[in-house]
Amino acid sequence: MTNLFGVLNIGTSALLLQQRAINVTGNNIANVNTPGYSRQRLNIETASPVASAVGPVGFGVRSAGVERIYDRFLGVQLNSENANLGRWEAQKGMLDRVEVVFDESGGYGLNQALSDFWNSWQDLSLNPSGSTERSMVAATSQGLADTIRKKYSDLEQIQEDIDIAVEGGVEDVNRLAAQIADLNRKIASTETSGTNANDYRDSRDLALKKLSEIIDIKSFEDANGQMVVSVGSGRPLVENGNTWRISTQTNADGHTDILWPDINGGAVNISAEITGGRIGGWLQTRDTKIAGYQDDLDALAEKLMEKVNEIHADGYGLDGTTDIDLFTGSGAADMQVNPEILEDLNLLAASATAAGVPGNASNAIAINALRTSPTMDGTATFDAAANTLVSQVGYDVQAAKANASHQADMMTYLENYRESVSGVSLDEEMVNLVKFEAAYNAAAKMVSIADEMLDSLMNIIR
Amino acid sequence: MRITQNMMSTIFVSNLRKQTETMLQRQEQIATQKRINRPSDDPSGMGRVLAGRSTLTAIGQYMDNIKQGKTRLEFSENTLKLVDDLVQQARRIADEKSGSEVTADERQFAATQVKEIFDQVLQLANSKFGDRYMFSGDKTSTRPFRVEDPGDPYTVSYQGDDGSFRYPIADGVEVTVDADGRNYFQNYADGGVNIFDELRDLIAGLGNTDLADGSTQIAATVDPLEGAHVQIMNKRSEAGPKLYRFQATEEHWLNMKNTVQAAIGREEDVDVTQAIIELKNLETAYQSTMAAASRIIQPSLVNFLK
Repeated sequence: MTNLFGVLNIGTSALLLQQRAINVTGNNIANVNTPGYSRQRLNIETASPVASAVGPVGFGVRSAGVERIYDRFLGVQLNSENANLGRWEAQKGMLDRVEVVFDESGGYGLNQALSDFWNSWQDLSLNPSGSTERSMVAATSQGLADTIRKKYSDLEQIQEDIDIAVEGGVEDVNRLAAQIADLNRKIASTETSGTNANDYRDSRDLALKKLSEIIDIKSFEDANGQMVVSVGSGRPLVENGNTWRISTQTNADGHTDILWPDINGGAVNISAEITGGRIGGWLQTRDTKIAGYQDDLDALAEKLMEKVNEIHADGYGLDGTTDIDLFTGSGAADMQVNPEILEDLNLLAASATAAGVPGNASNAIAINALRTSPTMDGTATFDAAANTLVSQVGYDVQAAKANASHQADMMTYLENYRESVSGVSLDEEMVNLVKFEAAYNAAAKMVSIADEMLDSLMNIIR
Repeated sequence: MRITQNMMSTIFVSNLRKQTETMLQRQEQIATQKRINRPSDDPSGMGRVLAGRSTLTAIGQYMDNIKQGKTRLEFSENTLKLVDDLVQQARRIADEKSGSEVTADERQFAATQVKEIFDQVLQLANSKFGDRYMFSGDKTSTRPFRVEDPGDPYTVSYQGDDGSFRYPIADGVEVTVDADGRNYFQNYADGGVNIFDELRDLIAGLGNTDLADGSTQIAATVDPLEGAHVQIMNKRSEAGPKLYRFQATEEHWLNMKNTVQAAIGREEDVDVTQAIIELKNLETAYQSTMAAASRIIQPSLVNFLK
């Protein structure tokens, strides 16, 4: 109605709208540091015009809902890169510890232990009956066995720590999946009434982002606004309000595998299908990298023991005994010096013949000659194989560090881009405050003028 | 592009983190004087450093072996020189006293001398290097030359075997020093001289009451004793080339050691001056970043609206 009461109505709608706008602005300001928050905007439209003697006339302003400023495609990309970041950071973290196991820069490690071992046999060859030299051989042999065993068991320990981390990760996955399912339900019930569930969506996106760091997921939003999340090769994790809880079990190697519950109530082992996220990184480190180092260490220990024992058993100790092994054990995990030798150093076989005792040193020289013979695969010496292992660890750590750093930069870039789209700029909100306050003041002025006009009207009739 | 406060602070923090990471790395390098502090700093460099270290310890061991070998040869030389002097003394006595005009008293006096010589040669033949017999072959804890029958105190038999001392001086390369006592004192290949037997014959000849018979016996030992002298000299001269080999190899290893150490140093060591200059630059950059950031992240529109 284009009369004074109409003006009052316009004023009212203006006041209410500017107030609501300030409300939304205030909410943005309050949430400037909230992680995952997307700024919200009040959509303002003119109210439907009313018919009048001079044609349609505007009738004030109304709000068309609060909108969340958000780039959905950015969200998918962020999560996928986040999974890569999680994977490389997990690898880097665990490989850093492996590097400590193989640290040779201080000068005492596999390289030194091997060198000491070879040299002690040379010293023995110069004085086969010397008790000092025999003690040295026993000591360096033990040192070598101890070094190899310790490195192997340190690697085992790291694998066990990874198992614990994986179990923790699985719990986190289940927790976050439950959160997402819960939010799915809330969003469904809120949006049936036609409004936007902006804050729930923000929370759901945040939960998705955290989830993608832990395990690689594929997600999409279906027509009803429900988020569907799957892991591995298309195994559903969250659908509408339902979750599939993943679990762990110990496998034949003594390490943790990840199980997914299938339709029939059974469990499927999906460890091989997980390639990203922290869990993917941990599994790869444990099952490919560390297992590989252990295999290399094992091969070195086995070959070393085989070759040394072969020569040693052919030789003769100071008391004429022969056919004694220097090392016992089957590999890197249980390599030991033969306890018979530790009890009686005379059993160390320096001599090549029974008649040559005690001065013959040919067997000792033969054992020392193993240092330069290409015994590993016919191409590498023991020393070279040990050095290659250390270099390999170095390469892997370097690659993990480089990749983690690159991914971190990538994530920073993407997050900044998201921030640029969805983030709250205090300066902008300040200006908005000023804007809406001025509009509010003007609207208030309009109401008071309408009031005065009404007053004057009333006073005409006395 | 829209910039928010969060973006500015995130970027600032990320840049600071990168700068401090690099500074920390430089500091570590300066503190340890090494460029490679863990395998991942330079994996292939680390491999080379490790290979270099293996080589260095091997070289050290060879140089030790060479020292021991040289000592053994010196011992041997001293011993053999003394034996040689004694053998020559015996030969002179045999030569002088082989004439028929030499009286029984003079012969008896000479016999005492030769008996002394015999005992000394026996003692030298049984000498030890450390706690091992030098001339007993592989049987280093058995005395090589022994008098079997106390009733016949000048017949000596060899108790050792034909082993030798082996000194590795390089990969697959050894210098052997013959330790078979028989080669020195008894039968040098075939046609050698058994010194003990000759001395025994000389003593018997000098003590022979039949002066004519005795003279023949004495004269018969002169040439063999000369041969014994040659035998010892030959064994002594064997040591010459071996000593030369020891010394030449020792010098070679000394040079190699320096080369390998230099190579390891080139891989591993950090140029301290350069590192310190880089650290200074990084510090300046760090401080500038902080100063710039503090001017940007602090003010906002709130301060200016009244």
